[in-house]
Amino acid sequence: MAVQAAAVAEADAAPEASVSPSRLWLRLLRSPLTCTGLVITVVFLVLGVIGPWIAPYDPSSVSHAVTEGPSGAHLLGTTQNGQDLFSQMLYGARASVLVGFGSAVVTTVLSVLVGVTAGYLGGLGDELLSLLANVFLVLPSLPLTIILAAYLPHSGSLGIILVISVTGWAWGARVLRAQTLSLRKRDFVEAARATGERTSRIILKDILPNQVAVIAASFLGTVTAAILTQASLAFLGLTDVTQWSWGTILYWAQVNSALLTGAWWWFVPAGLAIALLGTALSLVNFGIDEFINPRLRQAGIGTKKAQRAQVAGHRTRRPRRTARTGPRPPAAPFTPDSTDVVLDVRDLRVEYAGEGGRVRAVDDVSFTLRRGEVLGIAGESGSGKSTLAYAITRLHKPPAEVSNGEVRYTAADGTTVDVLSMGDDELRGFRWEELSIVFQSAMHALNPIMRIGAQIEDVLTAHRPHMSAQERAARIVELLGIVGIPADRADSYPHELSGGMRQRAMIAVGLALDPEIIVMDEPTTALDVVIQRQIIAKIMELKDTLGFSVVFITHDLSLLIELSDTIAVMYGGRIVEMAAAADFYHRPRHPYSRGLLASFPTLGGPRRELTGIVGSPPDLRRMPSGCAFSPRCPVAFEDCSAREPALYRIEGGGGAARAACLLYADAGGGGTEHELARGGTQ
Amino acid sequence: MRTVLTKLGFYVVTAWAAISLNFVIPRIMPGDPADNLINQFHGKLSPSAIRALRVLFGQKDTGLWHQYLSYWHSVFTGDFGTSYAYYPSKVSDVLGQSMYWTLVLITACTVLSFVIGTGLGMLAGWKRGTWLDSLVPVTTFLSSIPYFWFAIIVVLVFAITLKWFPLSGGYAVTETIGFSGGFVSSALYYAVLPALTIVVASVGGWLIGMRNMMVTTLSEDYVRLAEAKGLSRRRVMYHYAARNAMLPSLSGFAMSLGFVVGGSIVTEVVFNYPGIGTVLFKAAQSADYPLMSAIFLLITVLVLVANLLADVAYVFLDPRTRES
Repeated sequence: MAVQAAAVAEADAAPEASVSPSRLWLRLLRSPLTCTGLVITVVFLVLGVIGPWIAPYDPSSVSHAVTEGPSGAHLLGTTQNGQDLFSQMLYGARASVLVGFGSAVVTTVLSVLVGVTAGYLGGLGDELLSLLANVFLVLPSLPLTIILAAYLPHSGSLGIILVISVTGWAWGARVLRAQTLSLRKRDFVEAARATGERTSRIILKDILPNQVAVIAASFLGTVTAAILTQASLAFLGLTDVTQWSWGTILYWAQVNSALLTGAWWWFVPAGLAIALLGTALSLVNFGIDEFINPRLRQAGIGTKKAQRAQVAGHRTRRPRRTARTGPRPPAAPFTPDSTDVVLDVRDLRVEYAGEGGRVRAVDDVSFTLRRGEVLGIAGESGSGKSTLAYAITRLHKPPAEVSNGEVRYTAADGTTVDVLSMGDDELRGFRWEELSIVFQSAMHALNPIMRIGAQIEDVLTAHRPHMSAQERAARIVELLGIVGIPADRADSYPHELSGGMRQRAMIAVGLALDPEIIVMDEPTTALDVVIQRQIIAKIMELKDTLGFSVVFITHDLSLLIELSDTIAVMYGGRIVEMAAAADFYHRPRHPYSRGLLASFPTLGGPRRELTGIVGSPPDLRRMPSGCAFSPRCPVAFEDCSAREPALYRIEGGGGAARAACLLYADAGGGGTEHELARGGTQ
Repeated sequence: MRTVLTKLGFYVVTAWAAISLNFVIPRIMPGDPADNLINQFHGKLSPSAIRALRVLFGQKDTGLWHQYLSYWHSVFTGDFGTSYAYYPSKVSDVLGQSMYWTLVLITACTVLSFVIGTGLGMLAGWKRGTWLDSLVPVTTFLSSIPYFWFAIIVVLVFAITLKWFPLSGGYAVTETIGFSGGFVSSALYYAVLPALTIVVASVGGWLIGMRNMMVTTLSEDYVRLAEAKGLSRRRVMYHYAARNAMLPSLSGFAMSLGFVVGGSIVTEVVFNYPGIGTVLFKAAQSADYPLMSAIFLLITVLVLVANLLADVAYVFLDPRTRES
């Protein structure tokens, strides 16, 4: 289903990818609110059917028990004419429920017909139908309904149903048209059309089943609206007032001034019944909303409390560092034997708390970033690299939780803090000042309704409160200049820039405070190759002149080798190999790295066959025992599925490399390398 | 600018469609309401009133096109004939006296409930997972209550039992209409209960819509980036999350406004408020078709204007729509 696809794409590692559709529908029932709503709705439906049969009196027959309060004989009391209100309510349930559901059926059929036809056919027909729907949407429906009803005096339920349907179909039609339009462009519909399937069949088999949730939501919404409209019309005396409905009861109560005589039992039950049924239907609709929109579903899982608890465990107050005023002293160029660590990540573990238990997206990851270094983190999608980037900066959102580890940052003056145990204010001061992030898609990461300049300016306003407006404006121009954007583009909105320019604007935002570290999460993935090259060249140039350190995350290993000093490869939430870039390129240690390197061509060097890796990345919910890569590993041996390898240190060659592979478990050096080379790439 | 012009064009078309619909409805409805009405008055109608009635329902001796033209003529001159519910007042006079009451009441209530609902919805979305979540079922219940029934309960509690506010009407009978302090304060005093009814009953829709959009927006990358930038929570909430989350509320303004207007009309009846709703009720009771169709036109045009304003505001708030 479209909505599920969106759900899966949205929640990278959230554990819901492979639940079958029917299970998803069942999940609706798990919410207590939705369940309550469903039960109440069913009760009213049943009452609507059997009401007249269980009513103790004829609702219209008069008696001598005039205007009596609730009693044993008359559960809800009597009217001015001695009619039994409980019986009237039961009879009324039938009329109200009939009008509600009847109108919803007719309205939904109309909406589906118009919406799907318009969306599927497109062209002039679509334009006309959409215009018609929009016109009906802005017409105030109740006055129109009143007029129509007034011309059909004393109309029964059928007339009311027709009137409500005529005025109410537009909303559903508009939503369904939009859905159909997007469905029509999807692969499976295109495929069905390409194979020459009949239009009616495509609509029935491919389009409509994907719209069930939306249709259901629109149906339930219409039931509520119709019951309210019917009650309003009846209350105004525009329906047949001798036919009992909840609205008619209120009409007679109003006409006979029940309010003034204090006969509260006359009008309270009918209104409550309408409100109760309406609430119940709305609750069911919320359930459907959450089903359609996975972000709403997740809203309930992780709370502020959970977030707080997660960092409260090891919080220590440290004196707040004062904000830097001048530019940072230029760092010495990075050398491989540097020990000037700026970021030290230790045993970091990030878990997703889902309905099916906890999933480790990042598992005991440790690494260090030295001043001026470019650390490249490579991995397939779902390997946990983006989750890692968010956790370092504490930007992970529930259901993700950092359950273990430290992220120690050492400032230029030598003070060290643990990012994970910072208080809110301290964290706010640390962010962007010391560490900034460049996101994957500038299109989504820049606020669509703020000018580029303003999005740089608010960083300056927040962190440099003493800067004057002119100084800020000058800095914005300077920053845009650094990334090669004309100064007049500061007044542009993100959608007005080209993809490459947007990404450069994003980098300009990242440079605003001259940070020590910039985390780049696939900063060029969405761009074409030429632009990609330009951006990378710009980043490297800036790094050399401004002297920041970079954590560069991508799945593009060839790019990483080119620009990184050190490379870390992630697999199944763990780092499986870490080595100097040149060393890694010439001698990858881990079988997975070998596979990765073998899966793309090099420009120079001898010709070789591209092999790649068999199989697919592991499911984080069902990680294989032992080494996570073992099921796909060409050199795996018996022990691999039993023992989890640590990140072993391997001496020799161009510096120290580390690999999490049992091949290196015992030997302290490259003794097993020959064996590996034999199995890995041939 | 072009977007605004396109919008304007759309509303002109819609207005034309609505006004024409108003022309068509009486002609396709079963029976002959005109004859019934004329018979009801047993020859007491003036010839001009009968002529106006014929214009409304269609004379049998003139062509449809001609009828349509003279209908448009009456729309532009505001000459909708004589009201029967308020005989012998002219329809335009009846409307002139009542429309301002409704206009002021509904405008104030819509602004109030939009501000309160959107504000609370923003907070509920921002602080999701806290006690504010309980606002959702509560306001759902409130917005499922029929406006008029809620009005009855409000009257029962505040006017009859507590006697804090007057039972019905728009101002004290001792006051005369005009811009005197006494009249204005009296009108405000009388408007409290109707306004309370409308605001409470309509606030839930805004609240829930905003809350859900807020939750959706909070997982957008640009909100995450705003947090990463170390901006204050307030700045992230207002300028990044709420401003974006508000846009769908505004673009759905038309439908919400339709509900509010419809609800208010019925609410007026309960309070016997001197606005259009009460007039419409009386018109419907006495089959006063000229008055009803004029009211429909008036409400439609006002709602269209309100929607146009909301659309223009939207263009200013969302730069993406400003492109052609």
